[in-house]
Amino acid sequence: MENKRNQPSPSRFWMWFNPIGRETGGWAFILNRITALGLTFYLFLHLMVLWLLTQGPAGYNGFVELMHNPFVIVGELLVVAAGILHGLNGIRIILTTFGVSVTQQKSLFYTLMFIAVVAILIFGVRMFTA
Amino acid sequence: MAQTPVSQNISAPKSGETAWLWLVKIATGPLLVIFLLIHFIVNHFAAENGLLTYADVIAYYKNPLIPAMEILFLATVVTHSLIGLRGIILDLKPSRSALKAIDWIFVILGITAVSYGTWLALTIASTGV
Repeated sequence: MENKRNQPSPSRFWMWFNPIGRETGGWAFILNRITALGLTFYLFLHLMVLWLLTQGPAGYNGFVELMHNPFVIVGELLVVAAGILHGLNGIRIILTTFGVSVTQQKSLFYTLMFIAVVAILIFGVRMFTA
Repeated sequence: MAQTPVSQNISAPKSGETAWLWLVKIATGPLLVIFLLIHFIVNHFAAENGLLTYADVIAYYKNPLIPAMEILFLATVVTHSLIGLRGIILDLKPSRSALKAIDWIFVILGITAVSYGTWLALTIASTGV
């Protein structure tokens, strides 16, 4: 049973993100919600930035050049990490929704998150050494 | 400590979310995993040296499969993200009228984003090198 004081309500929505006193399912929920918000923000940002492609080579190439700095690469790695975490966590949700491994979902979650960490590390190394 | 019933541990439509919306959100999920993999592999690995310059992108979009795939990906991801965002807003228990307004905003936002993206992909595809 999760801590009652920790339960989110409309007026205390930030409790959505409070990891203290939660069980694995609560952490999975927090992870899914944070990554969902981040990915949605990135999606619309990405669409807006790509408008530069209609402005010819100078605008687009200049922008790509500008994005070649470590701070932006950290941001991009966060987007990649959010995508991997949200996608793998989503696979768990789909499986359990259709009755697959409902009683083993804690270990399913940890297995998928281990894969996520490995994948994020590989991306991180590639992105910072390329 | 009582065990949480299994039924509470699986995804289901929220109150205020129709079964259809929930089903679309659930069904687009695995589709997006596939689309994102393709999007990533073709944009960053299959394309020679990646797509780092304007000329690379223009040349790459000459293959009609690319804009077609990107437009499908866009429609799927916008749908999934807006239904998901609506679900998050539902947790804030909006009033009926607020929810109605949010629904309209999201429908318009979704149509705008997909139309704009489609136009963008087709514009890039038809730009001469």
